[in-house]
Amino acid sequence: MAKQFKSLHPTKFYRDYLNHDIRPDGRLISKFRPVIINIGSIATADGSALVRIGKTTVICGIKAELCPPKSERPNEGFLICNVDLPPLCSSKFRPGPPSDLAQITTRFLADLILNSACIDLKDLCIVKEKLVWCLYADIICLDHDGCIIDACLLVLLTALKTVRLPGVEYDAAIDKKTINEDEQKSLSIYNTPVSTTYAMFEDKVITDPTAEEEEISSGLLTIVVKNKELCSIHKPGGSPLSEEKLYDCISETINHADLLITLINTAVAEQND
Amino acid sequence: MSIKIGEFVFPGDVLRDLTVVNGVILKGPGLHSHEEPNCLLVTRAGILCFKSPNTYWIDGQQKRYYPKRGDLVVGIIKKTGNICKVDIGSSELSSLSMLSFEGATKKQKPDLQVGDIVYAKLLSAHREMESELVCIDSYYKAGKLGPLSNDGFIMNISLNFVNRILDINCPLLKTLGQKYVFEIAIGMNGKVWINAKKTKDILNLMNALLAAEQESNSNIIKACKQYAS
Amino acid sequence: MEVENNTNLLMRDVNCKLGIFTRPDGSVFISQGETAVVVGIYGPIEVKLHKMLINKASVETHYCPKSGTPGISDKLCESILHNVCEAALVSTLYPRSSILIIIQEMQNRGGILSCAVNGCCLALLNAGTDMKFLFASSSCGLDDEGNFHLDPDNLFLEKATASFIFVFDSVGKGLIASHTSGSFNLAQYQNALELCKKASEGIFDFYKCMIKKDLQDKI
Repeated sequence: MAKQFKSLHPTKFYRDYLNHDIRPDGRLISKFRPVIINIGSIATADGSALVRIGKTTVICGIKAELCPPKSERPNEGFLICNVDLPPLCSSKFRPGPPSDLAQITTRFLADLILNSACIDLKDLCIVKEKLVWCLYADIICLDHDGCIIDACLLVLLTALKTVRLPGVEYDAAIDKKTINEDEQKSLSIYNTPVSTTYAMFEDKVITDPTAEEEEISSGLLTIVVKNKELCSIHKPGGSPLSEEKLYDCISETINHADLLITLINTAVAEQND
Repeated sequence: MSIKIGEFVFPGDVLRDLTVVNGVILKGPGLHSHEEPNCLLVTRAGILCFKSPNTYWIDGQQKRYYPKRGDLVVGIIKKTGNICKVDIGSSELSSLSMLSFEGATKKQKPDLQVGDIVYAKLLSAHREMESELVCIDSYYKAGKLGPLSNDGFIMNISLNFVNRILDINCPLLKTLGQKYVFEIAIGMNGKVWINAKKTKDILNLMNALLAAEQESNSNIIKACKQYAS
Repeated sequence: MEVENNTNLLMRDVNCKLGIFTRPDGSVFISQGETAVVVGIYGPIEVKLHKMLINKASVETHYCPKSGTPGISDKLCESILHNVCEAALVSTLYPRSSILIIIQEMQNRGGILSCAVNGCCLALLNAGTDMKFLFASSSCGLDDEGNFHLDPDNLFLEKATASFIFVFDSVGKGLIASHTSGSFNLAQYQNALELCKKASEGIFDFYKCMIKKDLQDKI
């Protein structure tokens, strides 16, 4: 019966559940899904990670290349992220050029990296005006079940922490690069921004929504924090939200962030051992 | 918030303390029912109007036509066949059966081509369904409905202006009629068809209509005289 | 549109002209300082079959940059505009049709998103499309000394440590959209929110004034 009811009246189905402060998947309204982090999943990449938030699965591989810097920023390297939402991960996406959601997520991640200053592009410089590192971070979603921004940000940060760059010596006079594979240097990550997504459903705010809940909700809210500081509060429209609820969400995110950061650090520390 | 009749209202305003007759409020365009009893939610910007005993509506600006049952409209045939598709300026084409003309039978149907103009009545207009036009009244008589001559000209005017010229007190058509001999079909959808003996007259009439759109009623007579001279 | 007697806390001049085009059902030219956009609304119009929704109108937004094809940052802008407009429209009134909103950037001197949101609201009012509430957007920036600047221009934004854009609704004064850049703390966010909320009141008054003026000529 429940199945038929759900497909006929999806909104009412959710409303009935939420009125009893529980969600169809058995979680409480403000309960997060379990997060799994796996690192070094791609052996050929210079840094990689896989993250699962509930059923949402994203994988990130970081490839480092040597290239000359831009002339207007001679001592800065590059970090280029790209989020790919292939048709594999959800029936919402079709083959062809990147969907709007993929483009928006890519842009949002790039902004976040810049805003949080978690990585200093000057660290990627090898020889000023001549040679810098260019990091390509490709994030591919394998299973889309909501909170794609959270998963992408988490996987990107974890993957960045696993990046090992070989030593490079550059002789400008004869334009010769010598790569020293023995010297493995990790990147300095100055802070770890983590995000949480909320979905608004009528007068309730649901934490960590699944794709189904995102679909039915009247709006999303993503909060990004780093070291108890706010990095972004992104609410791309949807139904109006009162300030009290917003501030509740922010404090919840700050609490949850500690857990996520511990998780990332544990995963990275295990690899180093 | 109690709002007085004739004042400006904006989307999101809630009208309270409305006159209710037998538990019913008749609401026109721009008003929506509200959770609380005897209250209406405003969804368009404009002037709040009231007609005794219990009818409320918003008089605002609008260019796009929403089909309404019983409206007389001027449409352009876009597709012919047993059921014609007619463009009446709404979000989709309306259907007009070839049999819904006076005296039409399966063998004897009016000869309509793509691009012809008809003056028709909306038999049904429901937002979930395609609207349907007819060219006969409930006594199977055409009356003024039916195909309009191809000699005439068609023009678009705003919906507010349609309501204004159809007002019995509007001097525009009377004043123009003193000077010119012409036929006019004004559709509630903002399409107006005009025909006169000379093309020059038609053009003058069209210019007069366009000019009158911007003028108040008192100025219209003055403006008409200017065009007529 | 004065908030306090401090030039940093003043909005730039807002100007608009309604109904500038004859073909769209609603159109507006709006400028905030030197930033200007043109918004046109068609709707409800015929919808493509694959976009048709049987229970409500499909809202389509197109953000066109001044030159070239829309890039990924324009897409982000477009998605915010789309979600804001969709939240405000009573789209269940027009099932199986689409409402097309076209935003053309004319000049960007900072705060283009705010300006575009305000333009959308005015254009929807001009078109007479049914809405649940009005919405207004205002932005503010934070400099490195911790001072707030309301409605900053691009010169300020280049050196600002953080900038905030908010969209509020006219009924409950709730937050419809929020977009930030840079990092900041909670208190700063709260201050920015309060500041912009006050400024949005001025924008709502501006809408009402403009629409009244426009309608008085016509009715």
